[in-house]
Amino acid sequence: MTELRSSLVAPPGERGLRPTLDELCQNTRLLIKFRWAAGFSILFCTGFAEIVLSVKLDVVPLVGTGLFVLFYNSLLFFTCRDANETLERVQRVAWGQIVLDWVAMTVLVHLTGGITSPALIFFVIHAALSGTVLLTWQTRSLSFLAIAIVGALALLERSDWLPYIEIDEFDMGSQLYRNGTYITAVMFFFGTTIVTLSELVSRRTQRMRQREQHIRQLYDARSTFVRVATHELRAPLAASLSLMLTLEQGYMGEITEQQGAILARVTQRLRELSTLVDDLLTLAASQEASASHTPLAPESVRAALLKMVERERAGADIKGITVHCDLDDREGIVLAGDVGLQIIFGNLLNNAVKYTPEAGQVTVNYSISAGYTEVKISDTGIGIPADDIPNIFQEFFRAKNAKQARINGTGIGLSAVNALVERYRGTIALHSDEGQGTTFTVRLPLAARHVLHDSHQAH
Amino acid sequence: MSQKVLIIDDDPDVVLSLRMPLESAGYEVHEAGSQAEGLVAVESVKPDLIILDVMMDTHTAGFQLAQKLHAPDAPEETRRIPILMVTAVHQTTPLRFEPDSDYLPVDGFIDKPIDPKTLLAEVAKLLSES
Repeated sequence: MTELRSSLVAPPGERGLRPTLDELCQNTRLLIKFRWAAGFSILFCTGFAEIVLSVKLDVVPLVGTGLFVLFYNSLLFFTCRDANETLERVQRVAWGQIVLDWVAMTVLVHLTGGITSPALIFFVIHAALSGTVLLTWQTRSLSFLAIAIVGALALLERSDWLPYIEIDEFDMGSQLYRNGTYITAVMFFFGTTIVTLSELVSRRTQRMRQREQHIRQLYDARSTFVRVATHELRAPLAASLSLMLTLEQGYMGEITEQQGAILARVTQRLRELSTLVDDLLTLAASQEASASHTPLAPESVRAALLKMVERERAGADIKGITVHCDLDDREGIVLAGDVGLQIIFGNLLNNAVKYTPEAGQVTVNYSISAGYTEVKISDTGIGIPADDIPNIFQEFFRAKNAKQARINGTGIGLSAVNALVERYRGTIALHSDEGQGTTFTVRLPLAARHVLHDSHQAH
Repeated sequence: MSQKVLIIDDDPDVVLSLRMPLESAGYEVHEAGSQAEGLVAVESVKPDLIILDVMMDTHTAGFQLAQKLHAPDAPEETRRIPILMVTAVHQTTPLRFEPDSDYLPVDGFIDKPIDPKTLLAEVAKLLSES
């Protein structure tokens, strides 16, 4: 249980939570989208002001700035398109784009009238957006840097160290850019707006990250709890059952017929409990495997199937059931999880053996065709009554004849199998004649890049 | 002389359910309750077979002990002793381990709950192979 506690009290970093790779990628892509709009609107507005409104602008540097923005945005776009990014790399890209944006914005503000430029508002927007990708202290520093840059620009232009670019049509009157009161007023409102807004965005982002982290921790703690608790439940059950079997089989002295009958009953109840615990563990494992945040990876259907056949063979041998396998030699790579595939085939095979009377037969077929793998597991068991087939994948549902035959089960297995097959974008079908047997057919789509490879191997 | 079986398991109830069938089948049974005790007992008892529980003090204590006993640099006589591993997780949990000489130096598995018949069959099989 110690694992459980330690994962719950992981303190957030002193300087706030860093974005996850996923979040950073998403936000960087969003910024790239916005930047396309910004670049084109610089070009469009320059053209519109020059041609339609006949405003006298420094067209060349403005168009240059617009093109510069579009140029580095294309570079960023192609850098970020790659799916296999590391956090460090995306973070470098995130910083790089912010530096480039600031250079472009400073030039734009200068070209459109410095302290009197309407483009000043861009700094505010940008500082707020940075709050979504950076840490709080970084965003705060950026806001103050923005104030410093704009302030410096205003002072340099006021003292003629930098030429003031006037836009006549704004009709600013008597050299507004030299008016100290005006500069102070703009700087005050600009400064307070940028600091407040970026602080707000940054804090919201932090809070959101904390919540996300908390959810992840809860999820991890839950899986750890289920794992640990299941072991704690299983150990005494297994020990009790082992002792019962030793007793029942007479290794601790002769027992009377009546005592034997009672022992058999106790053993049966213990077995039921044991099945329930096992199935709960399967449920927990399958929920984890089919959760949308568990990544899918290329896995071999053949390997998972073979492993499960080997595992279930012992149980089949005890009942004198023959397991006949007809397997394609190709691996059949699908996008799934190894645990998930094992749960799917393990459960279907386990059921086939469980619901087939002694000396029966279980047949496993595996083939690949037109873009998917197909696994067929047939048995000569008790079958499923026609009325029960529509409900068979429901959680905790058990067929009437399975209950009547007093075969241990909880109705968890097939619902877990169904959820996993859905998660892997496959289909599951069943055909059953009561008293004759059941056939389950699982189809899973081949992973795209392996389709060609596999079909080549076939010839 | 009867063959010696060493049971290394921290659950006395499991030890008892292993001991009774083995003794009635004529084996000389010794027991150890932990990894450390087990190492000492292997030296002193010089068993013909070791029955080892996978989860003792930690979830992997059994594996660690098996690895120690069957490591390439372990004494030849220790390495030759077959190990039967008792586990309650083998049957239904999707597991990352299966018998494989590459990374798991045990000779066989037996699942809890222990069925005396299966136990005696496994033990006889491993002893006849070694």
